[in-house]
Amino acid sequence: MDKETLINNYFEKSLSIEEQTLFDSLMNSDADFAEEVAFQKSVKKAISLNERADLKRKLASFEAKKPKVKALRVFYAAASIVLLCGLGFYLTQNTTNSLYEDYYQTYPNVIAPTVRGENKEDLKSEAFYEYDSGNYQKSLELFSKIYTTEKDDYALFYKALSQMELQKTSEAITTFKQFDLAKNNAFTPFVKWYLALSYLKENQKEKAIPLLKSLSETDNPQQEMAYKLLSELD
Amino acid sequence: MHKSNHLSIIEQLKKGDEKTIHSIYVENKNGFLLFAARYNLPTDDVLDIYQDSIIALCENAKKGTIDTLENTISTYLFSIGKYMIYKKLKSKNKNISIDFDTKLPQAIEDDEEEPDNATEVALLQNNFKKLGEQCQKVLRLFYYEEKKLDEIQIALNYTNKDVLKSQKSRCLKQLKDLIKI
Repeated sequence: MDKETLINNYFEKSLSIEEQTLFDSLMNSDADFAEEVAFQKSVKKAISLNERADLKRKLASFEAKKPKVKALRVFYAAASIVLLCGLGFYLTQNTTNSLYEDYYQTYPNVIAPTVRGENKEDLKSEAFYEYDSGNYQKSLELFSKIYTTEKDDYALFYKALSQMELQKTSEAITTFKQFDLAKNNAFTPFVKWYLALSYLKENQKEKAIPLLKSLSETDNPQQEMAYKLLSELD
Repeated sequence: MHKSNHLSIIEQLKKGDEKTIHSIYVENKNGFLLFAARYNLPTDDVLDIYQDSIIALCENAKKGTIDTLENTISTYLFSIGKYMIYKKLKSKNKNISIDFDTKLPQAIEDDEEEPDNATEVALLQNNFKKLGEQCQKVLRLFYYEEKKLDEIQIALNYTNKDVLKSQKSRCLKQLKDLIKI
């Protein structure tokens, strides 16, 4: 077998055991051969890096259309402070209410970018602007209004989240219950998750458990958290 | 996502279909950000990791290493992301006592093990684009998509394997000459 074929087979990962032995010995004894293999490895690396950079640019362009990275960062910072305060505050409580505090995190605005001063006339942007700013009373009113006219799932979801933020837990439960869980869209796992947390807050463990079980048994973003929370409920 | 569905998605990813990539990107992003939020990484890092996970997903689809994927695409994507978060935390030297399953997800290669000749790679990156279109195609299919010469011969309509082999070595020679200058 010629050296070129040997190297091709190496990159094709199709070397037989004998060829592998030959390949290894040439790598040690034949400097030109080793150099050629190293060169082709560099070519492989270079093409991979180029391809990745191209794709990364494409993905970044998905983001550029929705400039929300900065908003999110502030948001997570705020959310973690809320979470930390919550943790400290409820550390002494021993009901499922405290589990709520452990697990609750403000759900980020992942729908509409919030750009100050722009699109003020747009109800959706305004609602998210208030939500992002922590004015949950206002965001609640706006999302309710949007939901009444447009019947869009996102409005219902963020209406319920605004109610949760305002500690109107039983109202949030009523809102979440308006979701048709059989629809199984992108919101479904999060609706189940936050509904379960709301039940825990109301100390209705028995209603939270079936929701968490269904989350822990299927593939979804909240599967692992649901599993963890369930184990703490036992 | 149903299984039959995710097989056709993998087919689309192999073609590099932008619409498919976009919808996977959008569908999983919320969940991923929420999932990653508990590791206290800066959001920019999380977004970066998310994008790199999508790239790894596309790459593995092209290489054919996830043709037999048993989980859903989302689960696979999250397992890549989780591994990358772990690596990021480790590089930041954070104390990672969290129950991390640190084994590599199916078909993810850790390509940092061998230190490369960084200058040579950078030169090659720039000069690769100076090659003719056919050379770029052949080399990209062979080295990046990890297609076998037999497969490339069919895909690019070469009359026989030897023609393709000599084409490939001519392309490599051209690259060598380009980076010498």
